[in-house]
Amino acid sequence: MRGNNFNVVGLMGAVAICVSWLPSSVHAEGFWSDGTVVEDHRNVPMPAGFRVEHSELDGPVFADESGKTLYYWPQTTMRNGLTGDPKNQSMCTFEKTTHTAGLMSPYPPGLELPELDKRLSCAEVWPPAFAPDDAQPVGAFTLIERKDGSKQWAYDGHALYTSIMDEFPGDVRAATTRTTGGDGPAARKVAAVPPNIPPGFGVISTAMGRQIVTSDNWSVYAFEGDEAGVSNCRGECTETWDPVVAPASARDFGEWSVFERSPGIHQWAFRGQPLYTHVMDSAIKSLEGSDIAGWANVFTQKAPAPPPSFTLQDSPTGVVLADSRGMTIYTYNCADDSVDQLACDFPNTPQAYRLAICGGGKVDRCLHDWPYVVAAEDEVSTNRTWTILEIDPKTGHFAEPGQEDALRVWAYLGSPVYTHYRDKRPGDMIGHANGEFGGSRNGFKTFILRDDFYNNAG
Amino acid sequence: MTLQLPKKTTGVLTPVVCSALLLGVLAPVAAHAEDRVAGIEDRTIGFALNSARWSLYQTENGKIECPDGFNEGPRDQFKALYPEGGPVVDTQLERESASRYPLDYEDNFPYRRAVGEVSLGLDLDGQADADDFKAEDGRTGVDNQLFRAIGCTRLFRAPDGTFAHFTNMWVREMNFNRIMFELTDVDSLENDDQVTVTMYRGKDRLMTDATGANIMPGGSVRVDYRFGDRFIHQMKGKIEDGVLTTEPLDVEWPWAVFLQRPGTYTIKDLRMRVKLNSVHAEGYVGGYADIESWYAQLVRSWSTHHSSYGGLSQPSLYRQLYQLADGHPDENGKMTAISSAITVKMTQVFIKHEGMKPEQVASSAE
Repeated sequence: MRGNNFNVVGLMGAVAICVSWLPSSVHAEGFWSDGTVVEDHRNVPMPAGFRVEHSELDGPVFADESGKTLYYWPQTTMRNGLTGDPKNQSMCTFEKTTHTAGLMSPYPPGLELPELDKRLSCAEVWPPAFAPDDAQPVGAFTLIERKDGSKQWAYDGHALYTSIMDEFPGDVRAATTRTTGGDGPAARKVAAVPPNIPPGFGVISTAMGRQIVTSDNWSVYAFEGDEAGVSNCRGECTETWDPVVAPASARDFGEWSVFERSPGIHQWAFRGQPLYTHVMDSAIKSLEGSDIAGWANVFTQKAPAPPPSFTLQDSPTGVVLADSRGMTIYTYNCADDSVDQLACDFPNTPQAYRLAICGGGKVDRCLHDWPYVVAAEDEVSTNRTWTILEIDPKTGHFAEPGQEDALRVWAYLGSPVYTHYRDKRPGDMIGHANGEFGGSRNGFKTFILRDDFYNNAG
Repeated sequence: MTLQLPKKTTGVLTPVVCSALLLGVLAPVAAHAEDRVAGIEDRTIGFALNSARWSLYQTENGKIECPDGFNEGPRDQFKALYPEGGPVVDTQLERESASRYPLDYEDNFPYRRAVGEVSLGLDLDGQADADDFKAEDGRTGVDNQLFRAIGCTRLFRAPDGTFAHFTNMWVREMNFNRIMFELTDVDSLENDDQVTVTMYRGKDRLMTDATGANIMPGGSVRVDYRFGDRFIHQMKGKIEDGVLTTEPLDVEWPWAVFLQRPGTYTIKDLRMRVKLNSVHAEGYVGGYADIESWYAQLVRSWSTHHSSYGGLSQPSLYRQLYQLADGHPDENGKMTAISSAITVKMTQVFIKHEGMKPEQVASSAE
């Protein structure tokens, strides 16, 4: 585990990851992570065997002894009731649910769930992080007693689980950073290790990377005209860019430093670069300021690169990810209406939900209206976020080994991505929000990298 | 009273200016002629949309236009179709499919269309057909078949229908919907036989009074040339007796509803008819709404849950849209668009053309 005062990786990234917006090139140097710079985190006491893994999208995460990411399931208010874990309890059991709970309006409860013969229980999909009988609380890690008397680790009072969707250390497929929206499922969240940042700042997961913001979510920026610990933004410049001031008591620590920009006025710097907010940003988490030459948003670590053939396109709402032809990329999002809120948007989950939306239950129409994004023969995956899956096009499930008609398709966080037949020109996003609750519960959403209007990105 | 608007106004106004602007808002639309040119600078004046609703003629409880009552919605239809419940695949997912592929399923539910002789809107084809309406101001030949399709569905009726309420609210509150019209080559707001009207999407909030509830004229809004380029359209128009009319043009009209659901309508032969002065404009825009894009926009922005609040069955409505379609036949003669109108109100704004030269503006509009 890394300490909180000295960070080797941080020194490697002596210059903050500052990326100006370069919409014409999805593969511009520095636009995506090369894996060498990762986010620093606080030194948090953990139970024996637990460790910290660095995820590509969510930064440092707590993991069990095998490196599998730990998640929690906060209690969530749905349209018709609550589900999820209350603090210090686990509602995720080994009992298989068979019918809907009617949590999502307007459908009534009691409808029989699909593929019951293959259905797993909540605890089979989300294995509890069991603790030995003699385990003792460690820091924010506490113990809860499950209904069967067994002990389970909790963090900040939230029962902890791993996910069968994750395969390798650092995978965060099961919670995803995809925005689910106010009426999305009761989603599981990654048990993230607190970032090593001063008070007054935050780090948020976006499709662009781990973005540094103020504590009230306004974007912070860096200026390429500055030098390490020296601000050259003076006079008129400060009418547009507000230095992020530090209290007189602030001291250097980790990747953060403080310098005196004028007598008695101190300013924060990250990896040596002075930080600012942009007075013309119209919304929190904005990327607008990076349109101004020399200025860029600041990230602790960038997101991994999308497939080489992908492009970036301007759409009515911002910048979207697109295939090689410029056609907008969509993700499919689904959770069932059981009390367990199990995912239905992976190839090894029931496909009936997706088929209902993408083709009225008809496979051929799905393949026409929402085609998979097929990987070129010479394309390979270079990270764990964007992978290539072999899919049986007739079922939507994983193909059998050697299956002749299998499709090699691009997947984001383990779930295939799609284009939409109604989109005719680059930037079209006619398929966006197609599905229940704007595509959050059972439907498609545009892969938005930058949204100047709704904070849809990510 | 003569109102002299400030030449350049940013989002921050002095109390004196605000008071002056407030007086301007309170001034009746039919002010003296000299008032109407106050907002013109360099033969140019801009307006931003602050209210928009699909135009429906409504009487109390629909007693004239909906004599048989209002339509039933998803909950009622679900109960009728599956009284015993059943598997998710054969019930819930069947209805979710039906919203997107409505012709895959039978629909035997009664549908109540709006009836009567009166409607809001514009004459789109220059004819007074049997299906056309009369306007309350005496105009004839009003084409608004969309009114027949949705006029008896509570969701769409103002002021309580959630669609009518929220879509209008978000016209004001969401920058995505910041539609602006800039009139150039203007000599008079009373009579001018040739003006140019350019539609833009802006990217700033509208200026309000201190309560935040009332949109004020005189604010500045920057044009969104980058992400809003597809919404730039240029039309020829004229002003007669203070009423602006434009020639028809196919447009993409940004009108997102609900957060995170940006969307647009494709409206063919759209034209305007608005009464205007130097601070305010109101009236109609009318055109033929492309049915597939109109319906797709409805389905993806308005979930089954939200439709349930106002008795909207999307699969039932889809059939009605095509049965009532009256414009833009395809190669087989099937109508692909339905006449419609939007009731609009606009407030004067200073449109800021940052980062684009005039010739680029013209190029974008083309």
